Amino acid sequence: MTGWTGKVLRVNLADGTIRKEQLRTRDAEAYIGARGLGSKYWVDEVKDPMVDAMGPKNNLLFVTGPLTGTMATSAGRYEVVCKAPLTGTLAASNSGGYFGPELKYAGYDMIVFEGKSPKPVYLYIYNDTAELRDAAALWGKNTHETTDAILAETDPDAKVACIGPAGEKGVLFAAVINDKHRAAGRSGVGAVMGSKNLKAVAVRGTKGVRVADTAAFLATVRAAREKLAANPVTSAGLPAYGTNVLVNILNQAGGLPTRNFQTGHFEEADDISGETLSATLLVAKKGCAGCTSACGRVSKTTGTYAGSGEGPEYESAWSFGAACGISDLSAVTKANFLCNELGIDTITMGSTIACAMELFEKGLVTEADTGMDLSFGNAASMVEMVKKTAAREGFGDRLAQGSWRLASEAGHPELSMTTKKQEMPAYDPRALQGMGLEYATSNRGGCHVRGYLTSPEILGLPQKLDPDSIEEKPAWLKAFQDLTASFDSSGVCLFTTFAIGGEELAAQMAAATGVPYTADDIMKAGERIWNLERLFNLAAGYTKASDTLPPRLLNEPIPTGPAKGKVSRLPEMLPGYYAVRGWDESGVPTDEKLQELGLSRL
Amino acid sequence: MIRVLFFATIRELAHGKEATVQGCRTVDELFAALSERCGDAFGKEALEGGSVSGRVIVMVNGRAIAHTGGGATPLSDGDTVAVFPVIGGG
Repeated sequence: MTGWTGKVLRVNLADGTIRKEQLRTRDAEAYIGARGLGSKYWVDEVKDPMVDAMGPKNNLLFVTGPLTGTMATSAGRYEVVCKAPLTGTLAASNSGGYFGPELKYAGYDMIVFEGKSPKPVYLYIYNDTAELRDAAALWGKNTHETTDAILAETDPDAKVACIGPAGEKGVLFAAVINDKHRAAGRSGVGAVMGSKNLKAVAVRGTKGVRVADTAAFLATVRAAREKLAANPVTSAGLPAYGTNVLVNILNQAGGLPTRNFQTGHFEEADDISGETLSATLLVAKKGCAGCTSACGRVSKTTGTYAGSGEGPEYESAWSFGAACGISDLSAVTKANFLCNELGIDTITMGSTIACAMELFEKGLVTEADTGMDLSFGNAASMVEMVKKTAAREGFGDRLAQGSWRLASEAGHPELSMTTKKQEMPAYDPRALQGMGLEYATSNRGGCHVRGYLTSPEILGLPQKLDPDSIEEKPAWLKAFQDLTASFDSSGVCLFTTFAIGGEELAAQMAAATGVPYTADDIMKAGERIWNLERLFNLAAGYTKASDTLPPRLLNEPIPTGPAKGKVSRLPEMLPGYYAVRGWDESGVPTDEKLQELGLSRL
Repeated sequence: MIRVLFFATIRELAHGKEATVQGCRTVDELFAALSERCGDAFGKEALEGGSVSGRVIVMVNGRAIAHTGGGATPLSDGDTVAVFPVIGGG
C-alpha cells in the first residue's frame, strides 16, 4: 500500500501483548483513515455501542490518515477514536502537531488499544519495536512533565501523546495532549485513556511515507498549495491573528454566546480578541507539521496569571471569556495553559464553568457548594475551578462531569448549553440558523467542526449565505458534514477547506494511494462515515428527540445586541435535513440509503 | 452620525479602531468618504470600481451587506458599520 503504511499495531493492555497486523485494505479505501477508518474498526471489533465507555471493553484507537505525514496540504492530523464517556456517542477527536506524522514514519496507520492495564504504563514505539513501559513514576504528572520525562528516558526526537491528572481521575472531558500543546480535546478521550491505565504513547519513526506516483503527487500538492496561497484566510487571516480573529466578527453579528448563552453580544469582546492577543500576549506564531498557515499562537502571561504556553484559540478565548463574562485576557489565557497542562478540553471546561456561574447567580448552587464566589466575570474563581476540576477537588468534582450532569443534579438540565450532553462552542444558533442545525445533528453532540456553516453564514466562504435564512441550510449542512468527514479521515487539516475542496483532496489522495478517488468518491466516503456514526448513535440509545437544542435557544429571543429578538428555527429545518440525508421522518437511515453506502444496521 | 468600527488588518489601514462619519446615505458613499480620510492603502483594499470590494466584509448593525443590497445598502444616523477583512478560523 502507499499513502497508508498498511500496518496496524494492536496492544492488549490486559496481558501486555503487542502484535502487528495488516491494515484491512477494502475498509481503508471506503473509510479512508483517521476518523472514518477508526470508527469502522471500533464498530467491527467492539460491536456493542452500549458498552461502558470507561470500562475495559471500550477500544481506544490512535489513527492517522493516508495523507498524514506526507507533503500534502497541512497533513499533520490524527484522531483518537473510542466511545465517548461525556456523550455516549463515538468520539473521534482530531489533533495536529507532530505526533500523527511520527506514527506514520514509524510505519503504522493506527494503534488499537484493547482492555485495561493492571498498572500505569506507557507505550514506546521505535520503528518496528514497540514495548509497554512502567509509568508509575509518571502517574500524577501533568502533560508537560510527562512529555519531558518520557523524552529523557526514550529519544529526545520522539513525539508524545499523553494524559494529565484530569485523564487519570476520569474527568469526563479530559483530553489527550500531544506535543505538549495540541489537544485531541473533545468528548473525553483522555478519560478513556486514563481508565486503561495508559499514561502516554511515545513514538519515534525514521521511515518515510511512500506515495503511489511521486511526480503526480507533487503536482497535485503544488496545485492545492497555490490555492491556499491565493486564499485570504489561509494565506493571511489565519497566520496574522490566529483563529481568535473571530471574536469580533461573531460579536458584531450578535452571535458570540455570552454568560452561558444568555445573550449573543459581549460588551468587552475586543478585550479577548485575536487583535488584542497579538498586541499583548503573543510571543510567536506556530504551525503543525506541513502547515502553511501556522494559526497556532505561542503566548506568555505575567502577573497574577503568569504562565507560558500555546493559545488561546478562538473557542477557548470564548469559553473562558465571553461565556463566563470575563474580559481579562491574561486569565483566559492562563486557563487555556492549565487545560493543556492538566489535560482538559477547553470548550467543555469553560462552558461548564459558565453553566455553574448561572446556577450560582440563580441561587441553584451556593457558596457553600462552590467554596467561592462564582459570579459571572469572576476571573480568579474561573481559573481556580479549572485546577479543582482536574483534581476533582471540592466543587471541581461536580464540574468534572460536564455541564449536563451538573445542571441535572441541580434540577435544571435546561441550563446546560449542550447537545447530546456535549457543550456547544462559540456560535449562537439564534444568530446563525445553520449552526443551530449543525449542533442539533452533530454526531458527537455540541461541536463546530462537524459541519462549519459559520463559514458561509458569517465569513462568506465559499459563498455568502444569509445567517437568518433556513431554506438552503439542510443541503449545505449535509455537504459540509460529508466533506468534513473525509477531510478529517484523510489526515489533512479542516482549515484548508477555506481554500480547497473535494477535488483537491481527491487529487492528492489518488496520487498518494493509487486509488483513483474522485471528488464524488470523497463526498460518498464522507456520507458513509456520517451514516456509520449515526447508526452507532441510534444503537447507543439516541433518537430523533436528541436532535435538538437547549430550550433557551428555541424559545428565548436574544435579549441584546445585533441579533436581538431572534430564536433558532431548528424545528423548521430538521425535516428537510432528514430528507436530504435519505433518512426517514424519525431520523433513521433508510434501507435504500444503507445499501447505497454499503452499511448495515448495528 | 454613523459609527464605523475597524477590525483585524483593516485597523492598520484605517489607522485606528473606529471613526465617525456624517452625511453618507449608502455604504458606497461611506467607503468613498473613508478612503479619502484614511488614505490610499485603505481605498485600495476596500474599494473596487467605486463600490465596496470583495476583500472586505461589511456589516451594518450586525447584518452583512451581502444580504441587504451590497454597497447600495442605505445608512441612517445612529447606524454602526463594522469592517473586516476576509477572515476565518474555528
